[in-house]
Amino acid sequence: MILYDYVLSASCYKVRLMAALLDIPITLKAVNFHPEKQHKSPEMLRLNAAGTLPVLVDGDVILVQSADMLRHLVTPKNAGWLGDNPAQTEKWLDFASRLNASLGMARLHDVLMFDADIDQVRCDGVAQLRQLEEWLTEQRFDGMTFLTGAAPTIADIACFPNAALAEDGGVSLDPYPSIRLWMRAIRSLPGFIEMPGIHRLHELSPAPARPE
Amino acid sequence: MPARVDGQDLAIWRAASGQTHVWGDRCPHRGMRLSRGFVRGETLACIYHGWQYGNDGGCTQIPAHPNLVPPKTICATTYACAEYSGVIWVALQTTTQVCRSFPGQAAVRSLAIKASAEKVMEYFSGADTGVVCVGGTNDIALALQPIDATHCTAHALASVSADRKEVSRWLESQRRSIELDLA
Repeated sequence: MILYDYVLSASCYKVRLMAALLDIPITLKAVNFHPEKQHKSPEMLRLNAAGTLPVLVDGDVILVQSADMLRHLVTPKNAGWLGDNPAQTEKWLDFASRLNASLGMARLHDVLMFDADIDQVRCDGVAQLRQLEEWLTEQRFDGMTFLTGAAPTIADIACFPNAALAEDGGVSLDPYPSIRLWMRAIRSLPGFIEMPGIHRLHELSPAPARPE
Repeated sequence: MPARVDGQDLAIWRAASGQTHVWGDRCPHRGMRLSRGFVRGETLACIYHGWQYGNDGGCTQIPAHPNLVPPKTICATTYACAEYSGVIWVALQTTTQVCRSFPGQAAVRSLAIKASAEKVMEYFSGADTGVVCVGGTNDIALALQPIDATHCTAHALASVSADRKEVSRWLESQRRSIELDLA
């Protein structure tokens, strides 16, 4: 499986993270998204006419939507990652794409100088974070850690990166204790990997030994 | 975790022993927010260069100089704090004031509101005490954390037998009308 990847992309990270959590090896092909716009090169456009990243190639299958890639990575052995209630999972996958349009765009504006109505995308992002906070708080009251239940699903992995990177787009996460607890739970999952801006929980590994 | 009280940025953390600490949110080394750091046992470590601070705020370890005993002058700013009914109270100045306790009530959730604590107090026609007693069947009380001229956080407590989702949804609806009032 080959992932055409850009290290700073939240959507590419979704796929890298999902593969790492499922312990599925993928071959990464780095695409120079910024500043070279290599995702718009003739070779990349032949693969994905939409000219977006990520692109996942698995034999004859070419996927260009990150949600489809998450579904594709889940095998019958790991079917729990699709969730017990497909409608719920779909609802949060849709929410993830709205987060990408708001917080994701705010971050692209601030970090990679994209053109955007920055006040509007931040405002949309805050409204969505409030929805997420309210839902995760109610889930916590029911003893549920994740978006659709006690166990994580592809919906959590889809929503996590743009939420966790909100501050790159000038949106503070300080007001959302339930979101922070949820993010801690995701970062505590076995196999979790980092990306620039989302570090691992150092407290989960033992303190490095002091030299003699 | 981060918090802001009266314009002061704070880092709130709980040591493995259970003790809570409220410190200025600034590492004395490079000014990094300590609330971005991590807790191991009884120390808080800064995420930037791993400098560690013990219960009294003093630096205990500098990883880049493992054999150095850090001088006593390297110290995080510490504030007096206390915990009652799941609410952490902090005093930015020396005070003799006794913390409010809430017998029969438990913390439900904290909600950020885009309005000053004064405006929220006014909305509930509460006295200027920092705590609004709403009462009702769920026996709701709000401890208001002033942030700045346009923000505060309401820490909601309710009767231990209250339906927490009902309280949470009521809070959301109150926030909507408070923010609409000011729009």
